[in-house]
Amino acid sequence: MNSSVRKRTPYRIVSAVIMALLAIFFVFPLYWIFTGSVKTAAAINAPAPQWFPMEPTMTNYNKLFSNPALLWLFNTIFIAVVAMAITCLTSAMAGYVLAKKRFYGRALLFTLIVCAMALPKQVILIPLLREMSALRLHDTLWAVILPTVGWPFGVFLMKQFSEGIPTEMLEAARIDGSGEARTFVSIVLPMVKPGIGALAIFTFITVWNDYFMQLIMLNSNTKLTISLGLAQLQAEMATDFGLIMAGASVAAIPILTVFICFQKYFTQGITMGAVKG
Amino acid sequence: MKKFLAVFLVLAMALSLAACGGAGTSSSQPAGGSSSGGETTGSKTAITLWTYPIGNWQKAETVDQFIAAFNAEYPDIEVTVEYLDYTNGDDKVTTAIEANNTPDIIFEGPERLVSNWGAKGLMVDLADLWDEEALADISAVSEAVVNACKGSDGVYYEYPLCMTAHCMAINYELFEAAGALQYIDQDTRSWTTDNFVKALQALKDYGQGINTIVYCGGQGGDQGTRALVNNLCSGTYTNADHTAYTANSPENIEALQLLADLNSQGLVTFDPGIQASEELQLFANGTAAMTLAWNASNEASYAEQVSFTPYAMNFPSDDGVAELCGGIWGFGIFDNGDDARIQAAKTFIEFIADNAEQGPASVAATGFFPVRASFGNVYEGTEDADRMATFASFLPNMGDYYNVIGGWTQQRTNWWNMLQEIGNGADVTTAANAFVEASNAEIA
Amino acid sequence: MASKRNNGSGGTSHALMVKETISAYLFLLPFLIFFVGFVLIPMVMCLRTSFFDSTMGRADIFVGLQNYVTMWNDEIFRKALLNTVIIVVVAVPTVTAFSLWVASVIYQMGGRLRSFYRCIFYLPVVTGTVAVTVVWKWMFNYYYGLVNYLGKTVGAIENNVNWLGNEKTALWCIILILFTTSIGQPIVLYVSALGNVDPSLVEAAEVDGATNLQTFWRIKWPQVMPTTLYILVITTINSFQCFALIQLLTSGGPNHSTDTIMYYIYYKAFKLFEYGYGNAMGVFLAVVIALFSAVQFLVAGKNNE
Repeated sequence: MNSSVRKRTPYRIVSAVIMALLAIFFVFPLYWIFTGSVKTAAAINAPAPQWFPMEPTMTNYNKLFSNPALLWLFNTIFIAVVAMAITCLTSAMAGYVLAKKRFYGRALLFTLIVCAMALPKQVILIPLLREMSALRLHDTLWAVILPTVGWPFGVFLMKQFSEGIPTEMLEAARIDGSGEARTFVSIVLPMVKPGIGALAIFTFITVWNDYFMQLIMLNSNTKLTISLGLAQLQAEMATDFGLIMAGASVAAIPILTVFICFQKYFTQGITMGAVKG
Repeated sequence: MKKFLAVFLVLAMALSLAACGGAGTSSSQPAGGSSSGGETTGSKTAITLWTYPIGNWQKAETVDQFIAAFNAEYPDIEVTVEYLDYTNGDDKVTTAIEANNTPDIIFEGPERLVSNWGAKGLMVDLADLWDEEALADISAVSEAVVNACKGSDGVYYEYPLCMTAHCMAINYELFEAAGALQYIDQDTRSWTTDNFVKALQALKDYGQGINTIVYCGGQGGDQGTRALVNNLCSGTYTNADHTAYTANSPENIEALQLLADLNSQGLVTFDPGIQASEELQLFANGTAAMTLAWNASNEASYAEQVSFTPYAMNFPSDDGVAELCGGIWGFGIFDNGDDARIQAAKTFIEFIADNAEQGPASVAATGFFPVRASFGNVYEGTEDADRMATFASFLPNMGDYYNVIGGWTQQRTNWWNMLQEIGNGADVTTAANAFVEASNAEIA
Repeated sequence: MASKRNNGSGGTSHALMVKETISAYLFLLPFLIFFVGFVLIPMVMCLRTSFFDSTMGRADIFVGLQNYVTMWNDEIFRKALLNTVIIVVVAVPTVTAFSLWVASVIYQMGGRLRSFYRCIFYLPVVTGTVAVTVVWKWMFNYYYGLVNYLGKTVGAIENNVNWLGNEKTALWCIILILFTTSIGQPIVLYVSALGNVDPSLVEAAEVDGATNLQTFWRIKWPQVMPTTLYILVITTINSFQCFALIQLLTSGGPNHSTDTIMYYIYYKAFKLFEYGYGNAMGVFLAVVIALFSAVQFLVAGKNNE
């Protein structure tokens, strides 16, 4: 950016200071989770907060893992990964077609997808629960996976990415006698890779945060996700904040790792999902 | 390309995880979908028990022992257990009912088993468990227990195991230091309303920040706040035949007004932000001087955490004679239409609750008292004998078991709201009238 | 539109269309199975149930519009609606304005610093709703929470304040937490939108002697308008759906001061089993969100012209 050589106006200095303060404010809860998880009960209940854990302890983690916390974590990852894989595939296929093909019912379908995206997912939970029970899937991980895959955001995102495929390339492939399936695999998929990456991460985060649906769909202690498990700990041990923070750490670490590793895809995905089409 | 490779690697990793995960999770599922209620295959019957946190019944090591004892006699019935909490437990049962995925046996009290699920026709009639011997044995302890287990249609939806009288507790050393022990009668563990107020003042003068918390953040433990309000001026929660709520009677309004005044003087603390479990924790770690949600079982669970003597007390009452809220816990069976499983569930309940050896052990695990006279003192000769004798002395003070009134679930929310309003300075009479109007409207 | 023109132009292109349509639906099939099965059908069921008195343990009874009438007369519903509207009306503009400001500060920074800040503001989103909620619950704790300690230390408050237990503060605490978890995505969007503003336009304005503020309003603001619109819509939808925060922090209390429609639906449906009524409120909420989004599109569209 060539206009970036600017004067140090007071506004800029003030805003830099404010940004730094805001950064502290936004990181602090996370810091408090991690440090809280290794604090002793005495330090946690002390009237004056201990800014840094003076006598770190693993007690909270030991207590946490007397619950099936690893299983909860595993369930969450299982749901996230399966939902991610299916969503990426179905959305890439549907998004490509919606972007690049003219067919009967396209406008109607696209309208439906956009409308469905705007609706609060939670309002369909009651009928969804009845449906899952009819399919005998209630209280299985699939009861969370299937509706997640059906949510049309992925299709919308992949349509945005597919718009960028040059039509001439598709035409050329057609003239070369390449079948639809082959065109999709050899031309479309490589071109929408970044979109798939973004969608994968999005789906992962959605699953991690989709507390309400999991609350309704999963019952058994062995089927809980980490969010539900954490909420359950909070219910049983309301003020054992050390234990709860240990649970929160375990819930946050995997998703933070994914986020930090794939930050770029994220940014790209968020940006592409926003451009109207 | 590097980015793509990275994503691909993660996906591949994740998928392989998923693959073994799939195997792992599906193996615990019978093929063709699941039913947490278990199945009947060949000669083996599988049933499920869901238990709310009632004493040691929330601990797997205790319940597993009982199941092992049961299986020694009935090897053909397989029992799986699921542990519920009071915050999300009701949601789990609700979704299970809606999903036709209910457990066979559920362990809780008449408010849920009888007034809620029983009244909705979801529970099995337990008349054959209530044989003459059981009826006589249980009636000998309390007629109220028998009535509480019956729905308004006269059908038994609960088979009771244990009972208790909910009381309160004070921090003995703190009271001693504040010179407040003079206001309690240590022989009967009781106090009058006047003395209660004096004790609060003494604590405040001593410098205690939080005396007692009128928690009203919702969920369970409402018996503590109900008992406090009803006893202060000897009001009642419902009318005698359980057809109307009476929280706006002159006695109750006087009591609520007293609490509101004490709240504004800083002598009691209304806290709409916390629930009973949190109030207990605050008492246990010494922050609050008293708890309203005490009973024998809670004393046992918090024994490790407290560094003072929690001294169980009757609720303060203007006549010095408290009427305590009773708690009754027992088993109910969800009607899943499978006779073999219903029969197996009954066999299990009979073993757990009636067996001369297992029965007392089942009761002792709850930390409460047997509903059967023939069990005698189940704590005799244990290290808990003295402690439990104290709590047993509260049993005669148990008042009317009014929880069988209609609209119980809705009134609980209304009750919390009323306390929240009063805590925030709303007019007491208006709030109490609103509670009664809203709750009476729910009595079907 | 294109399909209509093709239709008119003759038989061959119609045949081609049919062929295209078949292959298109083959591609769409996997998605459609999930979409129809687990989104559309439940939506239709939701609409249908809203006309029934539906509860646990007995067959549904058709009641026409009764649930909607009940809703209209339900005082708590109106309070929940009011709270929801407060959350939306407060959160949406502040989130949008604040994220635009943050983005306009950080988009000019160097690459490293910019990603650093972008990452920081996104952290609460990825930490997970429940984890964020429980830590805030601790910080707002009446008896030994951090907020009270800090407040007393700097002298802003005299005695401990029961942040989540006070009618006057609880909703604002919820909005604050919602705010921290909502601004991550808008910031990312604005940073990229501002980066796309044509630099020659900005330079031209500066040469003409426009102040920073003028440049912003005349050049950048119109160019990021589509982004603003999108942010308004997603933030509105998000704010309307605020649920986990409420369920875990206040259960709608004290005295319904934090009841939102979403939480009230949950309470009615899953605590009191009034499914028909719950679904009616759900339908209502969906319609309101649709209207809000449409209005935002219209208003923003007009400004853009």
